[in-house]
Amino acid sequence: MEVLREKVEEEEEAEREEGVERPSRPEKMTKLLRKEATTLTPEMLRDMEQKLSEIKVPVPGEPLTSDTIDIAKLPLSYRINTPKEEQLLQVADNFSRQYSHLCPDRVPLLLYPLNECEVPKFLSTTIRPTLMPYPELYNWDSCAQFVSDFLTMVPLPDPLKPPTYLYSSTTVLKYQKGNCFDFSTLLCSMLIGSGYDAYCVSGYASQDLCLMDLTREVCPLTMKAKEVVHEEERVPPKKYAIKPPRDLISRFEKEQETKRQEEIKIAEEKRLREEEERIMEAEKAPPDPLHGLRVHCWVLVLSGKREVPESFFIDPLTARSYSTQDGHFLGIESLWNHKNYWVNMQDCWNGCKDLVFDLGDPVRWEYLLLGTDKPHLLTTDDDDDGVNDDDDDVENLGKEDEEKSFDMPYSWVEQIEISPEAFETLCPNGKKVIQYKRAKLEKWAPYLNSNGLVCRLTTYEDLECTNVLEIKEWYQNREDMLELKHMNKTTGLNIDYFKPGHPQALRVHSYKSMLPENDRAMEFYESARVDGLIKREETPKTMTEFFRGRPDFLSYRHIDFGPRVKKLTLNSAESNPRPMVKITERFRRNPAKPADEDVAERVFLIVEERIQLRYHCRDDHITASKREFLRRTEVDSKGNKIIMTPDMCISFEVEPMEHTKKLLYQYEAMMKLKNEEKLSRHQAWESELEVLEILKLREEEEEGHMLTISIYDTKRNEKSKEYREAMETQELQKKQQWYQENQVTLTPEDEDLYLSYCSQAMFRIRILEQRLNRHKEMAPLKYLALEEKLYKDPRLVELLKVFA
Amino acid sequence: MEPRVMDDDLLKLAVAEQGPREEAGQLAKQEGILFKDVLSLQLDFQNILRIDNLWQFENLRKLQLDNNIIERIEGLENLTHLVWLDLSFNNIETIEGLDTLVNLEDLSLFNNRISKINSLDALAKLQVLSLGNNQIFNMMNVIYLRRFKDLRTLSLSGNPISEAEDYKMFVCAYLPDLVYLDFRRIDDLTRELAEVKHQYTIDELKHREDLTQAQREEAQARREELEEHKAAFIEHLDGSFLFDSMYAEDVEGNKLSYLPGVGELLEAYKDKFVIICLNIFEYGLKQQEKRKMEIDTFNECIQEAIQENQEQGKRKIAEFEEKHLLNLSAIRDEPEMPVIEMKIVECGEDITQLFNTLMTLEMQLVEQLEETINIFERNIIDLVGLFIENVQSLMAQCRDLESHHHEKLLEISINTLEKIVKGELDEDLPDDVRALFVDKDTIVNAVGASHDIHLLKIDNREDELITRVNSWCTHLVDKIHTDEIMRNRKRVKEINQYIDHMQNELDNLEFGDILD
Repeated sequence: MEVLREKVEEEEEAEREEGVERPSRPEKMTKLLRKEATTLTPEMLRDMEQKLSEIKVPVPGEPLTSDTIDIAKLPLSYRINTPKEEQLLQVADNFSRQYSHLCPDRVPLLLYPLNECEVPKFLSTTIRPTLMPYPELYNWDSCAQFVSDFLTMVPLPDPLKPPTYLYSSTTVLKYQKGNCFDFSTLLCSMLIGSGYDAYCVSGYASQDLCLMDLTREVCPLTMKAKEVVHEEERVPPKKYAIKPPRDLISRFEKEQETKRQEEIKIAEEKRLREEEERIMEAEKAPPDPLHGLRVHCWVLVLSGKREVPESFFIDPLTARSYSTQDGHFLGIESLWNHKNYWVNMQDCWNGCKDLVFDLGDPVRWEYLLLGTDKPHLLTTDDDDDGVNDDDDDVENLGKEDEEKSFDMPYSWVEQIEISPEAFETLCPNGKKVIQYKRAKLEKWAPYLNSNGLVCRLTTYEDLECTNVLEIKEWYQNREDMLELKHMNKTTGLNIDYFKPGHPQALRVHSYKSMLPENDRAMEFYESARVDGLIKREETPKTMTEFFRGRPDFLSYRHIDFGPRVKKLTLNSAESNPRPMVKITERFRRNPAKPADEDVAERVFLIVEERIQLRYHCRDDHITASKREFLRRTEVDSKGNKIIMTPDMCISFEVEPMEHTKKLLYQYEAMMKLKNEEKLSRHQAWESELEVLEILKLREEEEEGHMLTISIYDTKRNEKSKEYREAMETQELQKKQQWYQENQVTLTPEDEDLYLSYCSQAMFRIRILEQRLNRHKEMAPLKYLALEEKLYKDPRLVELLKVFA
Repeated sequence: MEPRVMDDDLLKLAVAEQGPREEAGQLAKQEGILFKDVLSLQLDFQNILRIDNLWQFENLRKLQLDNNIIERIEGLENLTHLVWLDLSFNNIETIEGLDTLVNLEDLSLFNNRISKINSLDALAKLQVLSLGNNQIFNMMNVIYLRRFKDLRTLSLSGNPISEAEDYKMFVCAYLPDLVYLDFRRIDDLTRELAEVKHQYTIDELKHREDLTQAQREEAQARREELEEHKAAFIEHLDGSFLFDSMYAEDVEGNKLSYLPGVGELLEAYKDKFVIICLNIFEYGLKQQEKRKMEIDTFNECIQEAIQENQEQGKRKIAEFEEKHLLNLSAIRDEPEMPVIEMKIVECGEDITQLFNTLMTLEMQLVEQLEETINIFERNIIDLVGLFIENVQSLMAQCRDLESHHHEKLLEISINTLEKIVKGELDEDLPDDVRALFVDKDTIVNAVGASHDIHLLKIDNREDELITRVNSWCTHLVDKIHTDEIMRNRKRVKEINQYIDHMQNELDNLEFGDILD
């Protein structure tokens, strides 16, 4: 134990130093790795070429060999076997011999591959159940995704045989590469750690799965969510519901019509099906000569724990889940977890479709060690097996103790650790490319790209991926809150999606060109805007705006523009706005006003000087009042200006009223409308300006693409702290230099000022330094304290004994 | 100076002077302004003695009558929309004639001769009250103002009470929601001091006010409950009210209750009778609930049908208007006369078509509704019939009880008579009771009379219930029918009006084009 602790400290110390000195260590290491590996390539390549002559390897990568690993630094448990482990190996050896004797026609079992130190280690002890400190990794799907992203796949040295080496998960994580067995072991460790009933499965699978070839799979991101068909609940007709009017259409004709329609539909469907089949045929993979012989390792999650309703497989290479009946899985040799090892005794002629995963059934699953907590045969007529299980556990406890000949030793693997930096980087070097059927998915770690790009999905028209259909780009931590960019290459339509928080409250912006006065639509977060604008659509000649929640109940405004009057100056909306021909505004019902006085729609025909009003409809009416004003400036026979004549206002009133007939009333209403027309025109002009402003802002944002850094992001803020210190020092030096130069000419006041500045700056630098140093000093102490605490905890004494 | 009379000329002049200016003013002159369209009127410094001739200004919001020599507040009954009334600098002595001005928010009676604040009860929205320079001398007048929950500004300076040392504190304490007193903002400190000073009396006052309020609410609740019972036609049946009323006018019955054994008999009788009454009561409530649900469902369905029909109509009209507008603009742009005429004819046809569609829709709805209304009518009548039948059977039980009681009573009476005749009666009987036991006929008659009264009461209650429920039912059905007829008439009128308008517009267009 003492040794172990020192080791941990040492490592931490080393990491800290390295972290301070050169944060880019992993990169250098990998470079080193690659250099060394190249010396091996010729023979490796020949070997590979022989075995994989007809296979295209989609993801090249050199396998991790023991030569590249510095075994001297590995802990003792990696290098030697404890007596208990030795005993276990004997048991396993015995089991293996019996097995090959009883089943001579089956492939010898994989039981104790060599680890990185050339020491044979039993499979189950390689699994190190670990609960990761990241809440994101608590569920199986995110765990699998992480493993698949974090590691680079290396094909098995021999695709037809299980590997002879199986490294510890810590080594695999360190070098970020491994084969399917390494993937499965790591994923299984994590899943068991977070409470799942997970097993590593060694067996046979299809070519696509073994080689992590997704080119025949549809990308999950391109799949559209299935539309949930809402079955409209049919309300039972109420007691006094009126009877529908009598239907006078011939029923016979109707029937004939539906018959005809159906025939057409069936023919159409048939055609579609045939088409589909043809396409499917064309896309099908060429038959694999090694079908059913390719060795693969994946993870099985049994139902029961963590509310898993049904058992399923996870392919650790792609992080996809499959049903246990899936056709990709062609057979199972054995499976194991951290406690036991089972050999499949069922026939796999039909792939895994008929397998029963009842590990308590000794006929189907031959176990290696007796007396772990799974061996209960599930009887089929047992309805309340949950309850029974508990009872059995209690009853069997004593029995097992007697019978148990051997207990699985504790894992030899060190605690699996993923640093926050590594966790954030996700993929090796922070970048990963996955090729799907007609799609390519690229992933980057956050902050890796200076514009915040984290994911790009390119969809292609053809299988060879030459004609781009559309591109989707996801962004993170953008200052302008840009979340997703959707570019359709066939229509040229671009759609940008924003998270809440854009300075102009932009939500969606779809456009073909960034030039103003073109087709575009902007949607806004209306609650963040004072004017309640939801959406603004533009075509070269019109602009339409939609509003919600305004105190004046305006809901819609449509503006038609006329051709611009030619001017010598530059044409732009700001200096020479287009003339407005027509403004249409619609209003929601204002409950405070009677319907006859509440305008529903008003149209300003600006050129004709005509104003049309349509009022809201009364609750019990079907017609609405209308009014039309026509402004004519004429002069009567005596030369007096005509102010208002009855024909200047034509109105239809649902219920004729006395006061509206008055010219005075009409005159006042018209004057008011004239004012409002001016206001509307002004608002429309402001909208145009706003569009220009947003476009300008968007361009600036695209060029600047600033990223935000959370104040909780200690790593990046630490950097900023250092940066601040450097800045501060530099400035002081500059000032000092200036002082040296001008010392002779300075007045006493200036000197005082300078001195006080110097002392202040020094003080700030000192504080910053102190903070940094304190952090450096405190961190190891805190870690030690934690370890001490854990060491003294009575609950953990049991575990410590194992180490000792 | 001679007092002026508020005549038509004075008012017309004032209206014209205070009306719109410039272009609008010319229009107003041209058309004349109706008194009922005037919203604000200023009649100050006119030497008016009597308020008169204001009844036409129904929509007046603001009226200024300050600096006159008015002595009585009168003639303002019609101005129910009035918000602002200024009667300052007059000779008014009592507050009166303001009972209809429920919308009044600002009232000024500054510089008058008022000595008592009262008769303002109707002014629930009052916010500003100016009573300065009057002759109010009793501080208790302030308490009257507590009822105006919106009152924020008050002026009382220049009254005898404002001379009092405690005046400001008193007002602040008794009117805690007041913001301005005598044109000055009441600061928080004064308010706090005032509160502390008058805490006990105010607490007491508040307590009393709360009590009255609670009593009023309780009475209200009781009234509402009774209304509910009345609507179910079973009021006063949830107790011994009917039984008590049977004995209220029954002299003989009351006398006979002194007989030995009758007391217990009566007790048992009453218990049984009340139980039956309670049965009727509960059954009535249940039936009422049922009828209510029936009516609600019916109304809901009818409303839905009408709504849907209206939507259809609106859609049709919208479609028509869209097409019609295009047609009209086409006609305007058309240079050829014969083509214009043809198009106008087409438009006319479209209008006729719309008329037919709308009327068909309406007729269809009328038919559908009629059918539904008939079904409902049958159901509600059945429901009422069932209710009556069951109530009658319960009432019959009451009658049986009464007969049973009557027989028992008769038996006891005759026994008692025999005992008296034989002189074996031990108990002492009051003289008027003993007077009944003269001979057999008298006693039998007395018991019989009591019985008759009881039966009459029961019959009356039953008759009342049945008549009322039947008349309710008839009213309901009548109302539904008339409502439907009214709705139909309104809709037909609306359609016709709209079609006429469209047709007119088209004709005018024709006319205008010919003129051009």
